[in-house]
Amino acid sequence: MKETYTFTVNGVERTTTEDKPLLRYLRDDLHLHSVKDGCSEGACGTCTILVDGRAVKSCVLTTKRAVGKSIMTTEGLSEEEKEAFVYAFGAKGSVQCGFCIPGMVMAGKALIDRVPDPTEEEIKVALKGNVCRCTGYKKIIEGIQLTAAILRGDAQIETDLEKGDVYGVGQHAFRLDVREKVLGYGEYPDDVEMEGMVYASAVRSKYPRARILDIHTEKALALPGVLAVLTADDVPNNKVGHLQQDWDVMIAKGSITRCVGDAICLVVAETREILEKARKLIKIDYEELKPVTSIAEARAEDAPNVHSKGNLCQSRHVTRGDAKKALAESKYVVTQTYKTPFTEHAFLEPESAVAFPYKDGVKVLSSDQGVYDTRKEISIMLGWDPERVVVENKLVGGGFGGKEDVSAQHIAALAALKVNRPVKVTFSRQESINFHPKRHAMEGTFTLGCDENGIFTGLDCEIYFDTGAYASLCGPVLERACTHSVGPYCYQNTDIRGYGYYTNNPPAGAFRGFGVCQSEFALESNINLLAEKVGISPWEIRYRNAIEPGKVLPNGQIADCSTALKETLLAVKDAYESNPGRAGIACAMKNAGVGVGLPDKGRAKLIVHDGKVELYSAASDIGQGCATVFVQMVAETTGLGKEQIVNKGANSEVAPDSGTTSGSRQTLITGEAVRMASADLNEDLKKAGGDLSQLEGKEYFAEFFDPTDKLGADVPNPKSHVAYGFATHVVILDDDGRVKEVYAAHDSGKVVNPISIQGQIEGGVLMGLGYALTEDFPLKDGVPQARYGTLGLMRSTQIPDIHAIYVEKEELLPFAYGAKGIGEIATIPTAPAAQGAYYAMDHVLRTKLPMENTYYSKKQKAVK
Amino acid sequence: MSRVQKKKVAVVQCAGGCRRQTEVGRPAGNGYQTEGSGPAGNGCQTEGSGPAENGCQQILETKADAVSCEYGCLGGGSCVAACRLHAVYINARGAAEVDPEKCAGCGLCAKACPRNLIRITSVEYNIYPACVSEDAGAQTRKNCDTGCIACGICVRNCPMAAISIENNHAVIDEEKCIACGMCAVKCPRGAIRDYNGIFTVREAQVGS
Repeated sequence: MKETYTFTVNGVERTTTEDKPLLRYLRDDLHLHSVKDGCSEGACGTCTILVDGRAVKSCVLTTKRAVGKSIMTTEGLSEEEKEAFVYAFGAKGSVQCGFCIPGMVMAGKALIDRVPDPTEEEIKVALKGNVCRCTGYKKIIEGIQLTAAILRGDAQIETDLEKGDVYGVGQHAFRLDVREKVLGYGEYPDDVEMEGMVYASAVRSKYPRARILDIHTEKALALPGVLAVLTADDVPNNKVGHLQQDWDVMIAKGSITRCVGDAICLVVAETREILEKARKLIKIDYEELKPVTSIAEARAEDAPNVHSKGNLCQSRHVTRGDAKKALAESKYVVTQTYKTPFTEHAFLEPESAVAFPYKDGVKVLSSDQGVYDTRKEISIMLGWDPERVVVENKLVGGGFGGKEDVSAQHIAALAALKVNRPVKVTFSRQESINFHPKRHAMEGTFTLGCDENGIFTGLDCEIYFDTGAYASLCGPVLERACTHSVGPYCYQNTDIRGYGYYTNNPPAGAFRGFGVCQSEFALESNINLLAEKVGISPWEIRYRNAIEPGKVLPNGQIADCSTALKETLLAVKDAYESNPGRAGIACAMKNAGVGVGLPDKGRAKLIVHDGKVELYSAASDIGQGCATVFVQMVAETTGLGKEQIVNKGANSEVAPDSGTTSGSRQTLITGEAVRMASADLNEDLKKAGGDLSQLEGKEYFAEFFDPTDKLGADVPNPKSHVAYGFATHVVILDDDGRVKEVYAAHDSGKVVNPISIQGQIEGGVLMGLGYALTEDFPLKDGVPQARYGTLGLMRSTQIPDIHAIYVEKEELLPFAYGAKGIGEIATIPTAPAAQGAYYAMDHVLRTKLPMENTYYSKKQKAVK
Repeated sequence: MSRVQKKKVAVVQCAGGCRRQTEVGRPAGNGYQTEGSGPAGNGCQTEGSGPAENGCQQILETKADAVSCEYGCLGGGSCVAACRLHAVYINARGAAEVDPEKCAGCGLCAKACPRNLIRITSVEYNIYPACVSEDAGAQTRKNCDTGCIACGICVRNCPMAAISIENNHAVIDEEKCIACGMCAVKCPRGAIRDYNGIFTVREAQVGS
């Protein structure tokens, strides 16, 4: 007789004969989808459950070892606990993408059950095994504290907050998605189950560069339950790519792979288990070739071509005035070379998509940063009219730029059309790490000059990007790195050359900061050296040069009335100056909107239906909270409450294209379109005496477009972008060299949601600190060496005290109630500020990230 | 309110079950391993019959070579005698074991152990290697069923790269460890333990 394993789950006795990870049993057999699969390696904590009252990762524990134990998931919380967690996490802004949240809730519950009044320290320790990439942990810690207080009876739930009758711009708005994310019933693609659904997964290259001699699929095909094995021959047009279609869907027999993430064939099977077995039965014959593993190797004359057109993928030349002359005439000049690594987004939700035949085409349930982008790439692959492909976003478990390119969506669509059934493709964590584009690694030499008073005169720089195997967004990312390498100052002589090279490393593309994290690290580090030469403080030199309204940015754009860089500098002045020898400072600017002459449009449609206002706009909320922002815009314009406004999400079939969630653009660009449509609705609403039911069935559509000038446009003051956000960060070290505090002052125009913006800033800062101190992406001959747990992501026990400060000016831009967006800039100035702090402490210039010889790097070494 | 920030707890780095111990008939008959009562029953701590403070020392002096692997727990109960909270007991496998619920992490037992087998750690690191044998794997296999044979499966499965093999046994770097339990689950020998008794079964739970 087969052995049976019996335990209780949420109070119900369960028995199984299968010995497998509890995570799989809970998700697949009991359909408890609050238990998220973030890595299946024990590293991320998204699958945390309670076992006999203790927080345990369900991917580690097995059904066999769980015998006799009592298991609880968020579904098993008492009503009182559910309400306490939902309210507290919503009120404190603990929820962003939400993928880590059920695990956080269970870790929090385990602690609160033992310690009803936990200290901040105790909460941090309790969350040590749970990674959050969005919030910077602070808001989650506060959420758990408030939950504990409610459960103790020391705090009350204010039901009006979630109800949201007052929900306008600037209100402490309770996010739309709190409840579903806290309790775990909200659906990410991997949570979708459909009648007849089967599973597909790609077999990927073993080598970064190898010729595919043969693909043996016979054994896999012979396995019962295997439905198909697809190769490049089965793809109508074997190319995808966000902007440049240079990315092979699968590498064909006889062709050469470009990175280890390359798919060679796609297996479709009835169950996950059969799929795993079948994948192992695929045999591929390779002729291993020497890979191109660095920019230097890619530039070498005898370098093999990664793509047929050569290894130079993209280049940009941004120039204004006469940098050479200006630098030659400068009193002080500093030249330094800087090096920054690839960075993994490490969003908590690995790529996943479900596709199924739909009408005359295919529908894809996705997790991405732009449903219309995904639609476009899939239609190019299929050679179809885009309309035949429908893409709908489910919840998106974090993106940070890493979900702009197609990953699972197109192969799910391909498989679904082949087997004519719904197909789910979910990446393993390692597959995700190996496949999706990273932040570009950079090598750059920056020369900055100033006069005797520290006023900048000119900048010359050369930026080299490793874009890996595919272009992805190399062009625009390189361009932003170049255009923003000047910093938020006023000088007018620049000569900036940027080059992006193909290599056989994993591809690089968009990542929060979009090239600017790299170039501003270099520029801001140079500024400190100039300040030293002039004999003024790093704060002072920035203040003297800071852009202000009416002055001209180095790219020629006249700074608009909302520009508040100086205000951010003043906001952190005391913090900086009261920590001599321990503090570093850096500024940044970041565009909001794609700009540079492109047709960057926001679109929104409002339909009055069943007595509510339905909002249709295909703008992906990847956790940053734009879906809530848009509803706040409708509320502000119409005076309606949250319960009368329904955001219908991003679905290419019913919602108009509102561009990619990229370039910190949704709050401003789509937000303004929503405001415009709402204003039209409000006119009618006023005429109807405020009676929404009289507008039943009416539609209001708006498109927002504020033209910009192309890069290098022949006008005296080209308008490169609709708006810029500005920021100053101060990083303060303790005597051991540990980051003690970060002051992050931001000008993002009008703050739409004060709690959300704090979470964005805190999360951005922690990501920036990781970039500066702990995160790396080591490669060995083009093969990633890191696993999720060893990427160096900061954990709850490592966080400093982050002070999120926002300055709001009276003068605002006339769009979206003056909001400018916060998404990317929050993560940009932190690394150079941290570098400056170490420089202030020991006078060693650290030109490489992650920085060497710090408290953090020493600890890493000591244990080896 | 003030609260001890980091509760400490003692762990014994030997899971017991030494073959040579069993051969010479120890530790049964010492009087303090009361049948069926387990640690909670406290029957092992009765006045007069308890282990002597120099119990382990005596074993070392009198029967040194005969009784155990060179690195394992002697089972003489010096630590049991040293503990004022009755948190330490000798389990059915002849090795000392700590009840984490009772332990205050004072360290008296660690001081009493002549083989330095008891380590004081923080409560959040509930996963610990219960073997510090420096013998080669083959010898450890001969000695007992639960000793670390330095196979490295834990090293490969640790998501945090927190484990290394040093002197023929697994060592966990607590700076990196997140106590996920993966090593305890994957260890083919049961040499890595969870004192919470979730990933691995505690002796005290076996009979109950």
